[in-house]
Amino acid sequence: MNINRPRPNKLHDELDALLDGRPVELTDELAPLAEAAESLRAELATYQLDPGVADHHLERVLEGSGTVVQLPVRGPAGDWEVRRRVVAVALAAALVLAPATIASAAALPGQAMYPFKLAIEQLRIASVQWSSGREAGERTRVAHARLQEFQSLVKLKMFTQVPGALRALEQAVVAAQAAVAEARADGERVGSVEARLTEVRAAGGQVAEQVRVAAANGSIDLTNGTRQAVQAAVQQSQDVLPPPGREAVPTKGTPTPTTDESPPNTAPSETNPPLTSGPQTTNPPPTNPPTSGPQTTNPPPTDPPTSTNPPTTDTVAPETGEDEPGSGSDKAGSEERTAEGNVPPTTAPPAP
Amino acid sequence: MLGFGGEREAVSKVGLSAADLVAARLREPAAVTRIYTAYAPALFRFFMASVGDRHLAEDLTGNTFVSAIEGLPKFRGPVEALGGWLFQIARHDLYDHRRKQSRSRIESLDENLTEATRTDATVDPEELAIDRLEGSRVLVAMRELSPDQREVLMLRMAGGMTAPEVATVLGKTTGAVKALQHRGLASLARVLGLRSPDETQERPYPSPDPGRLTSQEDEER
Repeated sequence: MNINRPRPNKLHDELDALLDGRPVELTDELAPLAEAAESLRAELATYQLDPGVADHHLERVLEGSGTVVQLPVRGPAGDWEVRRRVVAVALAAALVLAPATIASAAALPGQAMYPFKLAIEQLRIASVQWSSGREAGERTRVAHARLQEFQSLVKLKMFTQVPGALRALEQAVVAAQAAVAEARADGERVGSVEARLTEVRAAGGQVAEQVRVAAANGSIDLTNGTRQAVQAAVQQSQDVLPPPGREAVPTKGTPTPTTDESPPNTAPSETNPPLTSGPQTTNPPPTNPPTSGPQTTNPPPTDPPTSTNPPTTDTVAPETGEDEPGSGSDKAGSEERTAEGNVPPTTAPPAP
Repeated sequence: MLGFGGEREAVSKVGLSAADLVAARLREPAAVTRIYTAYAPALFRFFMASVGDRHLAEDLTGNTFVSAIEGLPKFRGPVEALGGWLFQIARHDLYDHRRKQSRSRIESLDENLTEATRTDATVDPEELAIDRLEGSRVLVAMRELSPDQREVLMLRMAGGMTAPEVATVLGKTTGAVKALQHRGLASLARVLGLRSPDETQERPYPSPDPGRLTSQEDEER
């Protein structure tokens, strides 16, 4: 009996090597194990598959191949099957979702169908995420939908919903800007999408500013809480949704500005940093002269001028500052406001 | 020096190539036959040693092979892994068979009891089971092993698989498989009387030593 046995792992390895047929020194410890293994192996070797049975098995397998002759095309058939299922699921989803989509299209925040509308938008975005260009387009479409909701809420005087709608619009615009920037980085052509997004930003900024002014001067009947919430929301959104007469501040995801946007000598003035009077002094719009006062004069921040040529959703508002309307007349801005605070109809600007 | 490589090498060195695998996926008769010839004997031995019934083992072998060839398009591994994959199917089929068997046993217990009173008293079911393993002193001794040890030895010896291959099939580590085969063969040797009594007492299984027991359990994990 061997007292100093090798470590169990070593013994395991030696036995394993022995069973694999590798040369191993047959120790006293291994000998009975080898003998047991040999007995088992000899016993198992007596079990031989009957040739007739083997033929029958092969027959079964090959018979199967006779009935499944299309096996060679099974790979492509699998792909086709997947496509067929995808189409079936899409069709079923369309049948289910189409009526709901139509019903929810006009839903506004706070209404029962509104969450459904948002869910459908997310589905649409998810379905185009394979292409950054298409995603940018879809996100811009969503931003436009938020703008329409915002405008509708203002028109319907649902001012309690306005701060939320404005934040939603702001978020949608930021997401669309990021998507546009990504698409451009991918080499996609997103010029028209970007132009549409610029329109949305300009129109959103215009409506927001009108609401803010109306809330400030009391032309719309608001509780103090709602008024403060509206004003705060408008204030917060101004970086993304620039009020008329103010150059857009590039936000995260916004493409790198062109040289026209931020020339070195166009720093904002100290008294009214958000307003951009600088560029107009260096690059005045030739077809859109200011209606009143010198351009270096900044209007009071609480009542910024409404541009004589407000950007609308029908036009492409310039982002580069070349056509920046600049500081418009206070009088003109105040004249356009309605007593109820409704958004006045916007007019298309003249062609530059 | 001693080795037990002959039977195992006959299975592992089957001469199958990746082209055979591709052709068998397309159910080309020659390729299917080559795979069958390479693995069916080992599958049969595995089933035979597991169920002890020739006809049942033949049926299980045929069913496993049919399932394997049908499922071959889904097999994505290299040709070297084909054996392990086949034995995974074989294990699954075996467990499935046992589950069905135990279920049918429970369901027909009353029927069988009634029938048993009518059958010839000389036919003892236990004797029938032993008769199935007639002449198989070693396989009867295998019943003394733990299920894990038995399964490792079946795959290793009947299936002709290496320890790493068995580990893959069973979802264990190679070390655990080596430990199980060592203890299994030690138990088998003891039951077959191949070890001296004092040697069997020297390292009883399971170990009464808590420390050793823990290490054994760790090895099996």
